[in-house]
Amino acid sequence: MNAARPRARILIGKPGLDGHDRGAKYIVHILRDAGYEVVYTGIRRSPEQIVEAAIQEDVAAVGLSLLSGAHNELFKRVIDLLRERGAEDILVFGGGIIPASDIPGLHEMGMAAVFTPGSSAKEITATVDRLLSAHQAA
Amino acid sequence: MNEDIDHLVREIRDKPAASTRAAARLMSLLENHPARITELYAGLADWPEPLMVLGITGPPGAGKSTLVDQLIGSYRKRHPQRRLGVIAVDPSSPFTKGSVMGDRVRMMRHATDPNVFVRSLAARGHLGGLALGVRGVLRVMGLMQCQLVLIETVGVGQSEMEVAEFADLVAIILAPGQGDGIQMLKSGLMEAGDVFVINKADREGAAALQSQLLATLNLRTQTGGSGYRIPICLTSALEGTGIAEFLDLLEEQHAQSGTQWLARRRQRFEQEVEQAVLQEAQHRLIETLRNTGIASAGIAGVLRGETTVTELAIALLQISAQGTSQQNEGHADERRIEN
Repeated sequence: MNAARPRARILIGKPGLDGHDRGAKYIVHILRDAGYEVVYTGIRRSPEQIVEAAIQEDVAAVGLSLLSGAHNELFKRVIDLLRERGAEDILVFGGGIIPASDIPGLHEMGMAAVFTPGSSAKEITATVDRLLSAHQAA
Repeated sequence: MNEDIDHLVREIRDKPAASTRAAARLMSLLENHPARITELYAGLADWPEPLMVLGITGPPGAGKSTLVDQLIGSYRKRHPQRRLGVIAVDPSSPFTKGSVMGDRVRMMRHATDPNVFVRSLAARGHLGGLALGVRGVLRVMGLMQCQLVLIETVGVGQSEMEVAEFADLVAIILAPGQGDGIQMLKSGLMEAGDVFVINKADREGAAALQSQLLATLNLRTQTGGSGYRIPICLTSALEGTGIAEFLDLLEEQHAQSGTQWLARRRQRFEQEVEQAVLQEAQHRLIETLRNTGIASAGIAGVLRGETTVTELAIALLQISAQGTSQQNEGHADERRIEN
């Protein structure tokens, strides 16, 4: 990250009903170590709660973690709500147990990146760095 | 980010209930560019202010965020029309500058309440930096018509003392099982409290903590001599007990001291402007010092004993004043030409 630039803020949220937050907490941890200011909102949140929090916190990106299989619906709901609120400039990325066949569709709906089990910390932070610096330069 | 502060201020002022995004943006802008807060000064004559700014601090794990969550619920029930803001401060890593802000986890049930605005802030390490961030957020929350603002900080070091500067009232949250009476003798945290809360009062050890605290505070009243008896509340944020009583106490304090709080805020505000003027002056002087020969020649002279620091400072002020007046004349010429 560019030291001169103000530190980017990222919100990590877990929409839906699964309570498996190890992945989400791991992402919080590695992003913190990469120098980001990370807001964590806890498990079992509605897309409405996540979007409202993201707007109040004025984050540059929202990361969604989901292991229940409802990613196609819930990721889309977050993206739609951000758009409704005029906050489509907030990047959305996600991760979890997501079949490879769903990933192209998720990109199409506006997910900036999708990570699956086995994505390394290095790969995740490098992708987030790249997305955010491209985004800020634009 | 080069957004127009005036534009954002106008948008929030015109539609305080429908300008969440603008308010959040303005907060970021002031946090990332603290010096730009001076652009707000001209509009401050009729700037809306909260009725109460409450500082909430205490050791990690005392239940501060859960208590804040309960307090939000209780306040919103009691005053359905009023808005409230929460500033939740968490530490930054001194190594990576990163931060995890997790206080919100406990407050998410209020996330979609349009009358509750929660903003997390990373302390960002540098001295005085936190105070600058909080100052901006607090001012925007006033503009959004928040009647109550809660500032939550971890009470382990000095940063919460900086934040206490902005609070009308500081509540210290303690919980049983977190150290014995010796902790209460230590300087800092215990001296900053106007109100004490013993949270987790349903747990063993709460009564013992209360008697230790009473003894400590009685001593403080006797030696301090102000005659003010520091109140102690017992709560269980988890079970929701004692919260209404805590809120009663806060509102009593407001009824008694609200006017004094306003006067104190005004005083602090004048100090803030004074600081801003001094900073600007220093900034200009540093420029003059670097751009003229005065630095190298003058400093060498001081070291040879030919001139004194005082003489050099006076010379610097004179050169700087001449430079400024020339500049102003220059601008005046330009304006004449334009006309």
